[in-house]
Amino acid sequence: MKVRTVEYFIREAIVSLKRNGLMSIASVSTVALSMLILGLFLVMVLNLNHMASVLESQVQISVYLQDNLSDREMREVGTKITKLPGVTMVTFVGKEEAMTRFKQRLGEQQGLLSALGDTNPLPNGFEVKVDKPEMVKPTAQAIAQFKGIETTKFGQEVVEHLFSLTKMVRWFGVLLILFLALAALFIISNTIRITVFARRKEIGIMKYVGATDWFIRWPFLIEGVILGLGGALIAVFLLAEAYGMLTSKVYESLAFLPLIPRSPFIANISGLLLVLGAMIGALGSTISLRRFMKV
Amino acid sequence: MTDVSKVYSNGSVALSDVSVNIAEGDFVFVVGPSGAGKSTFIKLIFREEWPTNGQIIVNGRNITELSLREVPFLRRGLGIVFQDYRLLPNKSVHENVAFAMEVIEAPRREIQKRVNHVLELVGLRDLARNLPSELSGGEQQRVAIARAIVNKPRVVIADEPTGNLDPDTSWEIMKIFEKINEDGTTLVMATHDKTVVDAMKRRVIAIEKGRIVRDEAIGVYGYEG
Repeated sequence: MKVRTVEYFIREAIVSLKRNGLMSIASVSTVALSMLILGLFLVMVLNLNHMASVLESQVQISVYLQDNLSDREMREVGTKITKLPGVTMVTFVGKEEAMTRFKQRLGEQQGLLSALGDTNPLPNGFEVKVDKPEMVKPTAQAIAQFKGIETTKFGQEVVEHLFSLTKMVRWFGVLLILFLALAALFIISNTIRITVFARRKEIGIMKYVGATDWFIRWPFLIEGVILGLGGALIAVFLLAEAYGMLTSKVYESLAFLPLIPRSPFIANISGLLLVLGAMIGALGSTISLRRFMKV
Repeated sequence: MTDVSKVYSNGSVALSDVSVNIAEGDFVFVVGPSGAGKSTFIKLIFREEWPTNGQIIVNGRNITELSLREVPFLRRGLGIVFQDYRLLPNKSVHENVAFAMEVIEAPRREIQKRVNHVLELVGLRDLARNLPSELSGGEQQRVAIARAIVNKPRVVIADEPTGNLDPDTSWEIMKIFEKINEDGTTLVMATHDKTVVDAMKRRVIAIEKGRIVRDEAIGVYGYEG
């Protein structure tokens, strides 16, 4: 293919974009909206996943001991836990320590504890940390088998809630995105259809003088890709700005919330959106060209 | 151009068992009443219609065996002129003719040269910058002819080229066709313009109800009206 031909294709595409200005704008906006929503969902799902796994890796196992153990027995249990595979840290939390923490957590409502008088109902225990998140559950189960253990607990529910939330958001997102992508496809193919229809005479003449189908197709294909890519670009720009603002706000005031850093995360998502936009554009014009090419 | 022989039927039988051989350099009229199958005959040559049966050989190629991808290349060896001119309204005369060459990716310098040459041939050099809407019917048809011959086809096919024109203008068009034919280009023209056919004294193939009823080396129209 010659450079001049490529020039011709692009020129033709731009001319027809201008000619159906309003439809072009409608197509670009639809693609922009769909891509923006797709981007937002991706950002949300990936961040929730990230949070869940960060939290999971921070999860520790609380081991509560039976009340009748001697100091020696308690130490033995401690040693046995330390020897378990994957265990990185074992800290003893005595009854008194547990009570102090409890009081701290209650804050202004400490007064409630005065009802207990001098008795301390809290058990002795250990805090156990493991090296890998997936080791939490088996380790907790292993410890529960030891003699003298009352019960073991870990932040299972929190993590599982987060994961199920992510799952729900993901499914909802997939459905919405599918719907929006179809809408974008429909609008683009309609825009191209209008162009093709307006130029069917020209297409006929091109065929009579011996233009190949691809020669006729290219300008429309380029038009579709420009529409798709244009929409995706707008979405990418908005998304990058919004995420930049969000991350800087979160780092200022809610530093503990583990967000995925902006770069290269947003760049990757942008790449994905742009490719998707271009693909929707190309597909849209292919759909409407199909019917008109038979002359 | 070699022998064009064909046998077909087409739903409501437009042509049946038609065999014809048009030699290179011939000037042939295809005549007959409306609906006799003239247009189908023409359309078969440039593969707008596909024969139900039989073979069509154009420029040495059996076009019934042509795949869709090859059709454009068949058409590059043909020049096609229609009754309704089929010019692009928003392009100038020059651009309309050049378009046929741009579409097949000819070099720019050659396009300039050829377009000027064929516009000279049809006598429209002075109107090159005008839009089709500023021209008379005869002038528009000359633009269409220029476009048909700009790629040096071996065969020019014309479907009722004088159908919308008055006798004087039709005659101008025929003069141009004659000139093109003298340069060695085969000409196949479907028409029901009696005066033109009778005056030209060329080969006439008459089609009626989908069959060839007459094929004369120097023929006349042979119908009234």
